[in-house]
Amino acid sequence: MAETETTSGIVTVEKVRGRSTITRCFFRYPLKLILPKKVGSSQVDAVWIYALSYGGGIVSGDQISCKISVGDGCTASVTTQASTKVYKSVDSKCSEQVLEAIIGNEAFLALIPDPVTCFSTARYNQKQNFRIVSGSNLVVVDWITSGRYQSGEKWDFTSYKSTNCIYLDNDRPIFIDSVLLERSFICDIAERMQYYQVIAMVILLGPKLKNLQNQIKEEVKKMMSVKLRPPTTNFGRHAKSEAQHDRLVPDLIASCSTFGPQGVGSVIRVTATTTEAVYAFLRTHLSSLEVFLGAPPYCQSGS
Amino acid sequence: MDHSTSKSCTNANHDDKSLLHWTQWQLLDSVLPTGGFAHSYGLESALQSNLIKQPEDLKPFIIQVLDNTGSLFLPFVHTLNKSPDTETWARLDNLLEATLTNEVARKASATQGSALLRIAASVFREITEPKLIRERFIGSGLVFFHHACVFGLLTGLLGFDGRMAQRAYIFMTMRDVLSAATRLNVVGPIAASVLQHEIASEAEEIVEKWRDRDVEDACQTNPLLDTVQGCHAYLFSRLFCS
Repeated sequence: MAETETTSGIVTVEKVRGRSTITRCFFRYPLKLILPKKVGSSQVDAVWIYALSYGGGIVSGDQISCKISVGDGCTASVTTQASTKVYKSVDSKCSEQVLEAIIGNEAFLALIPDPVTCFSTARYNQKQNFRIVSGSNLVVVDWITSGRYQSGEKWDFTSYKSTNCIYLDNDRPIFIDSVLLERSFICDIAERMQYYQVIAMVILLGPKLKNLQNQIKEEVKKMMSVKLRPPTTNFGRHAKSEAQHDRLVPDLIASCSTFGPQGVGSVIRVTATTTEAVYAFLRTHLSSLEVFLGAPPYCQSGS
Repeated sequence: MDHSTSKSCTNANHDDKSLLHWTQWQLLDSVLPTGGFAHSYGLESALQSNLIKQPEDLKPFIIQVLDNTGSLFLPFVHTLNKSPDTETWARLDNLLEATLTNEVARKASATQGSALLRIAASVFREITEPKLIRERFIGSGLVFFHHACVFGLLTGLLGFDGRMAQRAYIFMTMRDVLSAATRLNVVGPIAASVLQHEIASEAEEIVEKWRDRDVEDACQTNPLLDTVQGCHAYLFSRLFCS
């Protein structure tokens, strides 16, 4: 992959003597990459990459672009040490992170970061493109919290946009998702999100993840079926209908959809009232990834 | 037989523009059998998640659904209205298939689009594409007949102006959600009509905000509603398909 003036990071993972090895790792300000040797069990062939920003966050106007290539048969896990803070926008500047990832045949990329938190007035744009072949395996967690919500800063940023695209065999789009949350006179972000402070999306794709996809689909269905109930017959007729008001809004809502040719992928969307609830969800449902990555995702993170 | 000659002279004076009004009204009339009333646009799921607790919650819900319809679907309606050819339609239909990552919404879109194309082939016989597209593509697995794409294509072929086509798409969505709301007993039919008139100004703002964009800019603006709509298949008892 060519390094250009704007490239902040490049990582290449290839098989060397039969093991996944980082054969190239380049980074420059404002990105820092750390490659710890002993994250997972040494029985498992996987490399771990930690992506950090200087100062623990993304400053107004920062442009970070990163390329990662996971060669045939290799496994790589990319994560963060803490949530990514996006600081307030100065002079209406927008910060941007772009990731281009290429995943080879029977290769496995797990992108399992902590959430993004945009502070008041922040403007942030994120774009992640994944180029796969039919034998590729991919796990992507993309999530955001409403801000420093315990201090009352809830969905107070100016603009957040996150786009995730998956292309099969170079140019066939099989998943294009773009979420835009921006200040609007039509409808406030906080009003749209109601009581919920966290939104998350989990993508699972590839032959090695077929079992996990089926398992999560059943688990989510089972979990949500008990939370969903038809409204009582008194709906709307009596303003103080206790039966209706007593029904609490669920702390966590999740739904699972398949996508792609022959349903090759699954996407799980989660919204929750606390970050802890989503960490717990991810820890529980992604724990079986330990066999591929050497360590279970999100076990040292959050609370 | 004398009177027939003077009658045919009068008929020849009806210009295409007047006839277009009749076509537009027919396309937007709920009497057109496109099966829109099988879908609640996530309303049924939102009710069962208790996100809508009282009738007053309906108005903001509808406005949010329309805003998301604008951001996600209007680029497809607009582009096909401008370029209503089969190749563009097939390409954008595949793109929308990849963009509708919510399985519930994706299936609803394909069902409604197929129904609309079938009706159009029978009713609007002055345009040949609907019939030709159905003959070429049905059963091929190459296209999905998504609603916004079929609608955009039809409006382009029938000669609707672009802004009118996009406004019509938002109007139809509002019409269908309100219909679902009355069938789910959230509001009565009169209250629904009152709401429809009240929301018109916000709906027009939504059209203004999202019209005439490229499909590369299509995005969703309400992840909460997207998550909730995705739960539709988990509802134990349900009236609607989506």
